[in-house]
Formats: sequence, structure tokens, C-alpha cells
Amino acid sequence: MRNQTYILSKLVEIAVIFFVIMTALFFLFRLSPGDPISKVVDPMLTPEDMRYLIEQMGLDKPMWEQYVIYLKNFFAGNFGVSFHYGEPVFKIIKERLGWTILLFTSSTVLAAFAGVFLGKIAAWNKGSRLDSVMSISALVCYTLFIPWFALLLLWVLGFQLGLFPLGGILSPELWVGNASWFVKVLDIIHHMVLPLMTLFIINLGSYLLLMRSSMLSVLREDYIITARAKGLSERVIRNKHAAKNAALPVVTSVGLSLAFSINGGALTEQIFTWPGIGRELIFAVSNNDYPLAQACFLLIALVVLVANLIVDILYAYLDPRITY
Amino acid sequence: MALLSIKNLTIGYQTKEGILKAVDDISFELEKGRPLGFVGESGCGKTTLGMTLMGLLPDNARILGGSIGFQNKDLTQLNEDQWRKVRGKEIAMIFQAAMNALNPVMRVDEQVIEAIVTHQPEISPNDLENRINELFDLVEIPRARMKDFPHEYSGGMKQRVIIAMALACNPKLIIADEPTTALDVIVQDQILKEIKIIQQAMDTGLIFISHDIAVVASVCEDICVMYGGQIVETGTKQEVFASPRHPYTKALLGSYLSLDNQASVIIPDMREAPDLTLKSGSCRFAVNCKRCSRACKIGIPHWANISKTHRVLCCDETITGKTNE
Amino acid sequence: MLKTHYIRRFLKSWKIFIQNPLGKTGVIILTVFMLMALASFIVPHINPMYDPMTGIDPDIRVSTGPSLTHFLGTDNVGRDLFAQLLEGAKVAFIVGLSSAFFSIVIGTVVGMVSGYAGGMLDAFLMRMADIIMVMPSLVILLILASLFGQFNIWIIVFIIAIMRWPAVSRVIRSQTLSLKQRPFIEASQVAGASHLRIIFRHIMPNVLPLAFLYMTFRVTSAILVEAALSFLGFGDPSQVSWGMMLQWVWKSGHMFQAPYWLIPPGLSISLLTLAFYLLGRAMDEVLDPRLRKEGQS
Repeated sequence: MRNQTYILSKLVEIAVIFFVIMTALFFLFRLSPGDPISKVVDPMLTPEDMRYLIEQMGLDKPMWEQYVIYLKNFFAGNFGVSFHYGEPVFKIIKERLGWTILLFTSSTVLAAFAGVFLGKIAAWNKGSRLDSVMSISALVCYTLFIPWFALLLLWVLGFQLGLFPLGGILSPELWVGNASWFVKVLDIIHHMVLPLMTLFIINLGSYLLLMRSSMLSVLREDYIITARAKGLSERVIRNKHAAKNAALPVVTSVGLSLAFSINGGALTEQIFTWPGIGRELIFAVSNNDYPLAQACFLLIALVVLVANLIVDILYAYLDPRITY
Repeated sequence: MALLSIKNLTIGYQTKEGILKAVDDISFELEKGRPLGFVGESGCGKTTLGMTLMGLLPDNARILGGSIGFQNKDLTQLNEDQWRKVRGKEIAMIFQAAMNALNPVMRVDEQVIEAIVTHQPEISPNDLENRINELFDLVEIPRARMKDFPHEYSGGMKQRVIIAMALACNPKLIIADEPTTALDVIVQDQILKEIKIIQQAMDTGLIFISHDIAVVASVCEDICVMYGGQIVETGTKQEVFASPRHPYTKALLGSYLSLDNQASVIIPDMREAPDLTLKSGSCRFAVNCKRCSRACKIGIPHWANISKTHRVLCCDETITGKTNE
Repeated sequence: MLKTHYIRRFLKSWKIFIQNPLGKTGVIILTVFMLMALASFIVPHINPMYDPMTGIDPDIRVSTGPSLTHFLGTDNVGRDLFAQLLEGAKVAFIVGLSSAFFSIVIGTVVGMVSGYAGGMLDAFLMRMADIIMVMPSLVILLILASLFGQFNIWIIVFIIAIMRWPAVSRVIRSQTLSLKQRPFIEASQVAGASHLRIIFRHIMPNVLPLAFLYMTFRVTSAILVEAALSFLGFGDPSQVSWGMMLQWVWKSGHMFQAPYWLIPPGLSISLLTLAFYLLGRAMDEVLDPRLRKEGQS
């Protein structure tokens, strides 16, 4: 019962924040240099098409009416027509969203689990060679510049060693032919390895370091002495008592570093030509495809907010001290 | 036969300034039916002693000498694996509940179950359940609250759980380290009564450590007064209260005497903390002792038997002599 | 009198700081890059062909590897890569330090006001901080770039600062909250000091060390974001930054053939970021004695 009200209040909060962002974007559009109409309707269209779209978007109406139509359109899924593709933006985004979520979620989850696991070991062996190696490696990972690292991986593993494809999500030959469903999935995974590895390694660094320091402070707590006094083995103490408590701040940090992860995700998508929203946004911005850019941006904002919500709920579920 | 027999035990901490002797050449014996209390200010070594008896000394501490005789074993010679079999099963510790002594993300009953299952892995689920219920009843925690988390418990309830955890495997010796500090007085009283009842019912040996001599006196039969890592006086409860000999013991008791007795007791001025790096054999209390003479500064305090059970560690003849003040 | 006290405390902290292996490494790396940045002012004057943007070696038309005249080689139009690297160091420092500085200024003011005022203002500011902190800076910069066109380096610095102050403000706020309880604040209030005066004369000096500690972490994220932005092609076109060098190597298709071009800029970004991070961690240990290892005073 309590948890439901919590989730509900959080959903309302997200809605409000998103609303604020949408409004901010609306006004930014109007404030930016250039004719606002040319930002929504492709100036290359024929005058009749332009007039149709202008009417549909309500661009000839007063500001506040435009705003209402803008909101209505958004919730109806009408994001306008992409200048570049000449198709409804909604259609384009729909195809892209799934790929981004796939890459983003899998890399975050894998990095979190690996970070917790390795950080636990590093803290347990504090001061040893193993710990130094792990900590330094994690530090290096944390400060890597993503595009550079991605390019390096691409160069070494993709180009020099030829182990992985250089981009995209699938090899067209396989898909045009009659390959089985299993082979197709394998192909996607094959293409996913390098971008996944990039994001995984970058995120792993920060989670490992955080888990390590969290674990070190947990190990100083009194309930660890109690556990020892009960005669528990070191392994049980480490995993059941220490790690469970130490992992909690890491969950929180996953939420906090979502912004950083999304930035990284966009860059990774760009380099590996992974057809996700991040890449689409970059593309749209480079080509002045305003409707597409705007929609990609709003969608990314929404993904960030929802992801934060999921992390918050997860944390509340894991920590019995949180009550609402 | 004594349950626990400590001879010349010395424990030191490795610090930048050298070896700090937290416990310096102490000897005592514990009988099963007679709870023994250790009293002293913080830093006198009583907690270190407690931890040593559990094998829970931190990494920078070391047993420098002496022996701990328990159940035909010398505990100073145990390695970690052997200690793990002893801890919780033969010797158990009751910690201060004010600390974060319970794991916040584990249910309370699970934590007690863990104590049992670690040492009795083949226990049947039925027996386990009976035992858990028995324990929680014993410490008077309602069964409905058994599956709560620690943060949902009051201070007194947390202390009770810790007691239950210590009792889980019917240990032969229980060490209680400041179990009632930080609890309010009424709860403190209840807990002390419960500890006493449990000790008698289960016939375990009990070492009770506290800075509060009144608390120790309400539970224990014999008292050891510690100062600067040494036992400065030991005797039955009656002897120590009725005729304290060592100036420090008098200081402790002096804080509790009623107004009409105050005039006849000299309370030393405790200005300095004891120097734990002094070599063995010198009087650590000398800096604070009003009766300190030149002989005390160079002399070696020795044990003087006042009675069969009452001993005091001092150089001063007037204190150790059979004459009273 | 007070000044010598601060100087003594600073020297003591410096001693602890420099003993720390993290701090030592950080300082060494930083010094190297600082020298590089300073060198960037001199190098183009040695020979015009060393100008990072416009200097073209008349003998070279394609990207070449390291040689005596060009330490790192040249890019595909014949510009010296080492000169570009030096210029990139200069840009990185400017962007990193000024952006961090602005975000500290904003974050400290907001944190102090929020912590001191409490109530609705506090709740509102912290909510805003939460929301801003959650937003991915690169994405926001991109959408702004699409609307407002190519950015000047200082606009980039400012926008990054706006995105990054929330983290600072949280820490400053909690510090302010604990300071607020102290008797000397109450004494000032009773003496009739205005709130503004209390904030700036009494609270600020006590929170500043913390603010500067967190400045190092802001620098790292500022450098990374600017590099990413330049890499994508939205940086300031009049400055050669490391991100831009990477963009050129990528766009010109040389990334697989020219390791001497690909590796140095990215390596520099990572090393400089690492150096600031190590600096921050070492400062952390200096300020919080509990984190110090045994053996250090």
C-alpha cells in the first residue's frame, strides 16, 4: 500500500518535470534566431504542403494556442515531419528507441553487477597487489574519453584483428537471405559486442570504485564484528553481510550517473553507427532537422526520467529502512 | 575447577609511538556460578580483554604473553579456523546495542537463525523453529515482531536480540561488554535483571564489563577493578564495596557514596590518563595518586592478599597492610 | 595574525598532500600539461608553419608520421600535430578551469542561500538542482546547438557551468546547514548582522575549502563534455581542442591509418582528466583525516 503511493507520487513528479522541459523547449524554439516556422516546417516543401502543415501545427495562431496544440500533438504522437527523411518523426523514433534501450540497459546492468562483484573483491583484499591493479584500472576506465576509446577498440578489434564488424546492427546479406531467426539474433549480438564493451568498460570503472569505498566503510561497521562473533566464515561475512549493505549506495549512484551514461551512449552510437536515438539526435542537429531533433531530445529526457524512477523504486525495494 | 583461567596475559597495540600495552600482565580465574565484573574507565583495557577472549582483536593488536585456559585449551594458541568454532558456540559476546550491532538489511530472526545454523548445520527445521521461539520467549520479545528489521526495534529490544544471539548455541561463557550503556535507566534495570536470570538458569560463566560499578555490582558476585591495563584490585562484591583498598577503587566508589559518607573518603584527583607505554612493573596510577610517595615512583607494585578472595596491587604499605584506614 | 594561521595550515596540508602518491602523480601530470599549454603561446612564433589552425608545411600535402620537424607528424592538410596538441592543452585548461570556477560560484551561492534560508526556497532550489543534475549535459548542449547555431568557447563554458552547479550546491548546502547550528552564527544574528552579511562574511570562508575541493571534479567533467561536443563537430571552430583533433582524424577517414594522429589527443584528454581526479582525491584525503592511510601524519 505504501509503495503504491510512493510510485504514484514519483510518476506525478516525472510528469511535472517533463512538462516543464517541454515548455522550456517550446519557448527556446521561439527565442532562437531564425523564423520559427522554418523550424517546424521544411522550407523546401511546396507552398501547399507548407500551408497544410502550418495549419496542422497551428503555427499561424497566437502563442498560447500554439502551445496547446504543441502539447496536444505531442501526446497524440504527432511530432511533425522530418525534413531529412520526409516521413513522420514518430515512425523514425519508434524504430530507434528499441535499439538504444537494448544497448543502454544491457551495458548498465552488466557494468553494475560486474562493478559490485569486483569492487567487493577489491575492498576485501585491500592493500594487496590485486586491489591496486583493480583500483588503478578502474580509475583509468573512469577517465577514458569515450569516442577515443571507442575508436581504439574499433581500430584494434574491428579493423586490425577483424573480429567484429565496424558498425551498424546487422549484416545485410544475412538478413536479405533466408537465414534462421537464431542466426539473425547472433548477428545482432555480434554487432553489439564492441559498443557494449565500450559502454561497459567506461561505466565499470566508476561502479567498481564506488563499491570498493562503500565496502570499506561497511567493513568498519559494528554488525561486521557481530557477524564475526557468531563464528561466521569470512566468505559469508563478505557476501551476506558486507556486500549487501555496500551495494546500496552503488544503486543510487547508477541513478545519479544516468546522465553521464546517456551522454556516453549517444557518443558510442555515433561511432559504431548503432541506430539509436542518440545517434539520430546528433544527425538531426547536424542537418538542421528540427522536428526530428526536438523529438529525439524529448524522448531522451523521458528515458532519463523513467530510468531514474526505476532506480529509485529498486532502491526502495532493496533497503528495508526506506518507508514511505 | 575454574571455567576460565587467565595467567599473566599481556596484549599490546602496535602504534607509531611503539607498543601500547592495553592489557598488562593480568591474571584471574572465573568460576561458572559466579559472574565476574570488570570495571574501569574507557581505555583501561577491559574491552580489549573482552575482544581477546573472543579472538576478535584488530590487526594491529597482538598477544604478547600469558595464557588463557578454557576447556583444556589455551586460547592464545588458536588459529583463525579454530577460533571460528569457538566463537558463538563456546564463548559468546553480548555487544552494546547502541552501536550498529545488527545488520540493517537482514530480518532479526534471520540473524539469530544464522548464529544457530553456523554451528549446527544439520539441525532440522522443526528443531530450529522451536529453538528460535524458545530464545525469543526467553528474552521476552513478542513472536509477532520476530520478522521485523532492526531499525523497527527500540534500543531495549535490540539489546534483547543481541542477548538472544549470544545465547543461541548455549555457550559455556558469555562476555557482556557494556550491554546497558546508552539504554535509559528503566530499560537498563530490566535488562540487567534478565541477564542475571538467564545466567543462573543456563548456568553459564559470565564476564560483565562496564564503566559503571553500580551496574556491575547488581549482576556480579566478584569484581575486578582495572586501571591502565592492569587489575588493581579484585575481590568479592561485598569486600570491594565495604573495604576498598586501592585509591582508584575508592575514586570509583566515591562517585556513588551518599552525602553523609563523603567526608571520610579521599577521592584522588584524576588529572592524567595512564601512560600505557610504561614498562611492566611500574605503577600506572602513580601520576594521579594522592598517596604517591617516592617509593611508589620507583617501586614495583605487588599483589597483597587482604583475604582469600580480596587482593590489591600497590606499593604502599598502609594500603596493602592489614590495617584499615 | 589570521593570515599566518592560514598559511601555516596550508603548508601543513600541502605536506600531507604531496606525500600522498595520488596527489604526487596528479601534480606531476598537471605540471606537464601546464607546460604544454604555456608552450602553445610560444610555438607558433617559432615558425608560422607551426600554427595549429593555419600553419601548413609547404612541403607536406598528406598526413605524415612523426619526424624531426614534426614531433607527432602532420594531419591530412599538413598542419603540425604537436602544435595542435599544445593548443589543445591550452583550451582544455581554459575550458576546464573557467567552467569549474563558474559552476563553483553558482553552486556555492545557491548552496549557501538554500541551506541558510531553509523552508520553501530551500526545497525549490534543491528540486531544481535535482532536475538539472539528472539531465545529460551533452544532449542539452546538442539541442541548444541546433537552435542557436555554432557556439563560441565561452558560451560552451557557461552552459557547462549551468549544468554542473547542482553537485556543488548539495555539498555546500549540507555544510551550511551544519554551520548554521554553530553558536557564532547565532551570535552574529543576535548582534544584528544582516543575513547577507552572515552568509558572505561568516559562512562563505568556512565552505570555500570544500568548494574548491569539488572544483577539481567539475573540471574533469567540463573537459570531457567539451571534448565530446567538439568531437561531434559542435565545438568552437576557432579553437583547436583535442576533441576537435579527434573529429578531424575521424572525419578524414585516417583513424585506422594514423595512430600518431589518433592516439595523442585522446590520451591527453584521459591523462588530464585523470590528473585532476587524482588531485581531487588527494585533497579529499587531506581534508578528511579518516581517509588517510596509516603512516601519514
